[in-house]
Amino acid sequence: MFSIKNIKFSQPILCLLPSLVLIPVSINIVKDIHLDGLSIIYNFIAASIQPSTDYNVISNSLNQIQITIAVALFSWSISIFLGFFLSLASSYNIYKLLGIPKLIAVFIRRTLALLRSIHELIWGIIFLQIFGLAPWIAILSIIIPYSSLLARIFSEQIDSIDLSKIIAIQKTGAKNIQVLITFLIPKIMPLISSYGFYRLECAIRGATLLGVFGLGGIGTELQLATSSLNFNEMWTSIWLLFIVIFILEQIVHILQQPSLIKNKTGQFSIGIILLLLCTCGLSLVWLKYIGIDFSFPETIHLVQIPSIVNILLALKNLSWIKLFSDTLLITIIASLLATGIPPLLLLISHNKIVEIFLSVIWTLCRLFPPPLTSLLILLFSKPSLYVAALALGIQNIGVLGRLLKESIGKQNNKLYNVLKANGSNPKISWLYGKFAPQSNTYLIYSIYRADIILRETVVVGVVGGVGLGWQLQESLSSFAWEEVFLITLAFITITLMGEYIGEILQKQIQHTNKDK
Amino acid sequence: MLKLKNFLFFIICVILLPIYEKSNSKEVFIISAIPDQYPEKLNRLYTILSDELSESLNIDVEYKPVINYQAAVSAFRTGSLDLVWFGGLTGVQARLQKPGAIVLAQRDIDRAFHSVFIANTKAKIKPIRDIKDLKVLKGKRFTFGSESSTSGRLMPQYFLNKANVKLTDFKGSRPGFSGSHDATIALVQSGSYEAGVLNEQVWIDSINSGRANKKDIFVIWRTPAYSDYHWLAQPSLDQKFGKGFTNRLQKSIIGLKKTNPRQKKILELFSAKSFVKAHAYQYEDIEFIGRKLGKIR
Amino acid sequence: MTAILELTNIYLKDNEVERLKDINITIKYGEKIALLGKSGSGKTTLLKIANGSLIPNHGTVLYKGTNINKLIQKQRTQIGTFWQDLRLIDELTVGQNINTGALGRHGFVWAIANLIASIERKKCEECLKVVELPKSLLNKNVNKLSFGQKARVSIARLLRQKSTLLLADEPLSCLDPKQSKRLLKKLLQLHEIDFNYIPSTCIISLHQPKYIKYFSRVIGIKDGIKIFDKSADDIDFNLINKLYV
Repeated sequence: MFSIKNIKFSQPILCLLPSLVLIPVSINIVKDIHLDGLSIIYNFIAASIQPSTDYNVISNSLNQIQITIAVALFSWSISIFLGFFLSLASSYNIYKLLGIPKLIAVFIRRTLALLRSIHELIWGIIFLQIFGLAPWIAILSIIIPYSSLLARIFSEQIDSIDLSKIIAIQKTGAKNIQVLITFLIPKIMPLISSYGFYRLECAIRGATLLGVFGLGGIGTELQLATSSLNFNEMWTSIWLLFIVIFILEQIVHILQQPSLIKNKTGQFSIGIILLLLCTCGLSLVWLKYIGIDFSFPETIHLVQIPSIVNILLALKNLSWIKLFSDTLLITIIASLLATGIPPLLLLISHNKIVEIFLSVIWTLCRLFPPPLTSLLILLFSKPSLYVAALALGIQNIGVLGRLLKESIGKQNNKLYNVLKANGSNPKISWLYGKFAPQSNTYLIYSIYRADIILRETVVVGVVGGVGLGWQLQESLSSFAWEEVFLITLAFITITLMGEYIGEILQKQIQHTNKDK
Repeated sequence: MLKLKNFLFFIICVILLPIYEKSNSKEVFIISAIPDQYPEKLNRLYTILSDELSESLNIDVEYKPVINYQAAVSAFRTGSLDLVWFGGLTGVQARLQKPGAIVLAQRDIDRAFHSVFIANTKAKIKPIRDIKDLKVLKGKRFTFGSESSTSGRLMPQYFLNKANVKLTDFKGSRPGFSGSHDATIALVQSGSYEAGVLNEQVWIDSINSGRANKKDIFVIWRTPAYSDYHWLAQPSLDQKFGKGFTNRLQKSIIGLKKTNPRQKKILELFSAKSFVKAHAYQYEDIEFIGRKLGKIR
Repeated sequence: MTAILELTNIYLKDNEVERLKDINITIKYGEKIALLGKSGSGKTTLLKIANGSLIPNHGTVLYKGTNINKLIQKQRTQIGTFWQDLRLIDELTVGQNINTGALGRHGFVWAIANLIASIERKKCEECLKVVELPKSLLNKNVNKLSFGQKARVSIARLLRQKSTLLLADEPLSCLDPKQSKRLLKKLLQLHEIDFNYIPSTCIISLHQPKYIKYFSRVIGIKDGIKIFDKSADDIDFNLINKLYV
């Protein structure tokens, strides 16, 4: 007998199912589409193959992209070093090794979680208020959340080291510093070369985004070109960014060759450390050369601290339920889009040419800062929650699409070939042979991604006109500090909650996997 | 192994070098403006103005572009900008946050400034005579300029309120915010929005330059007059650049004449015949309306 | 001769279960001690207490008169431990793992150098030779080895430490009978080899009573209580059988 209980979704289906959200999203976006807007879409797409080749535009974009890359490289390399030291300071194993009470680690961990939960954009806004216009506030806004995120990832890795092994070496009379080196370097370095390098692309995106909000660089250029509807110039910047990211991906790809690490952990680590140090130094020289001023401001301008009465008043005045529910809805829709669409597109077609085409699309998706995407969507649709969700979704489709492509590329083709040899239809063999083995990791990563999307809603609300992000922009433009304070607090709360829920979900998926 | 140590030390030195190299710079006079128009135009305009002021005041002048209105206000508050071309609302916001800031000058047209409501010809909206008829905009796709713009948002919203049109009455139950006056024209002309509102001076410039095409887009209503843009200076300029500097600055701005070719170019780009003295009291209405609409707390 | 290791009134309770009760052992220089007892009798616990990685509820452990957990770094290098769970570092090569045994005798830079290059190959090869592993394994990643090979690498690391006191927890459990006999004889310095890294004093826990003839002294433990502590010559099989009942 058929009953609801008999339906049990397997993980590959769980990955594909979210793409159903496309139906309500497209209905909502399409129903507001107006024909006049279509000509703008056409112009936008047509401009992609004819970016402006005007000498001034290109030379200007080249100048601006240098700022973005130098800022990204510098803040990225500093974040890795800082993240590493913070991970030492927050990993339980280190405290046990040195015999210091664990409580300090707990305290540092909580603080880092707090720093992490504030989006780089909000950091930028806060620093702008305190220090005024200075290029290094962009750098600082990237370094703070990035290094605390890296600290978390690294410290998890350090805590995964079997403490008994550490004791074994310690009891041979080795000094603590030697023990640390012997254990940490082989554990952390591969992680730096994989996850750490992945963060570099994120840093470039972060630096671009901060540019959209007025801290200079190619993001500023993009924002200006888009808001004056100059698509040809916009595409010049986008393609330049594309080339940069592409070159970077190739370098990272070479650095991640397993043969590089194999049995040469030490040489590899020294290489990575030197590379990081050089990146740090050279980018600093580069920033100096471009003319970025690093002098620290002589005065700090404290914002008038809002009184408790004002805060309470703002607490009453803002419609929190709507703000929260909008923000959550954006997160959910964007996460579902980002999870469902990459496997769906690959399922529909996965021959070589389509795959190359798709990976170009993934990269482009990642390159467009969500505020710009939503601005573009707004050209032919009306502002709504779906626009914001779609804009965020598109960027994260790029992130998850790339991840899926890479993890499928790494596994062997045995199962796929067996299925194909059995005469299964190529789509089915792809689903079972290639996607199914990856679906568990993919799902876990998607949940982790949902966390990040929640943080990023601050960025799209501004244009889409919904959620906490929008309210933040509105309060900022009225210089209502009590509201800004409360909204930042709200963001911290929901991201910390999201992280917590994400952890539970991840455990659940890992758990069901073990049952099998 | 010693070699390795030396090498690491060397690398660290290379890294720290640029930090210790202290740049000893002269005081630079920094001017800026709210980004309410095409950035190319602002860039052109303020580069010429920087040259002019640099010559007449005999100091280094630098134009620092900012990308949004709040950044301009905040940067003024923190003292990063010495002289800023503000809109009515942003000027008031900046003055409230930086007590003592001096309203220096405004254009001749700023004493009685207007906004225009525009519509796409396909939107089937007819020009109106009376403010109450603004209700024809109900149910239309409508866009403001920037959230903090006086002529692109604050005053229009005030007039819409007077005509009993709420922000939730537009299609999609909220208006758009195009970000700048030029973007408003482009978006309404393309049909992305059926109607919008912007600063009259930008509108006239666009019609004259052909950027706005009268076949696609037309004015439905011109608002009553109010005071708008003005130059706002830091209160501490005299200490920084010498006694009487603020006065000299005001004089050289007001003294811009059409007879001098470079000054003529500046005035043209500002769409002004001349600059005149401005006073804080001219913006009391703006402050009142800003408070009423919650843009000033 | 003076005592090298003294365990006095050792008592350990863990999760409401008494693991060890009133153990008193004094070990003199040059003694070779076999530790017998069935699984779960407390051998591993006793050895962990002896090397200071486990702290008993009552009682003291003295190494050359100093509390085991207050030793200076140099003294620590004199105590070598073979851990039943091997505790090798998976990410490193065989050679690097063996060298970690000698970390205590070297400095910070040496620790880094060990990760970069295969240093002091000669010494590692000598250690490998004692445990009968080919030197071709030196640059292999340790997690590519079989469990038996790993156990021998772990012994090689121990030898590299050049300790005077050896505390070994079932070092022979994964070796074939012939191999284990040869290795045991080497560890007890009964087998003449050209290698001077072997500790002079040792406690080795075993499951093979037939080997006790190689030792100078035998200690039997049952349920955390010391049953006997005699010279190897005085042991008869009835006594040993008591342990396994």
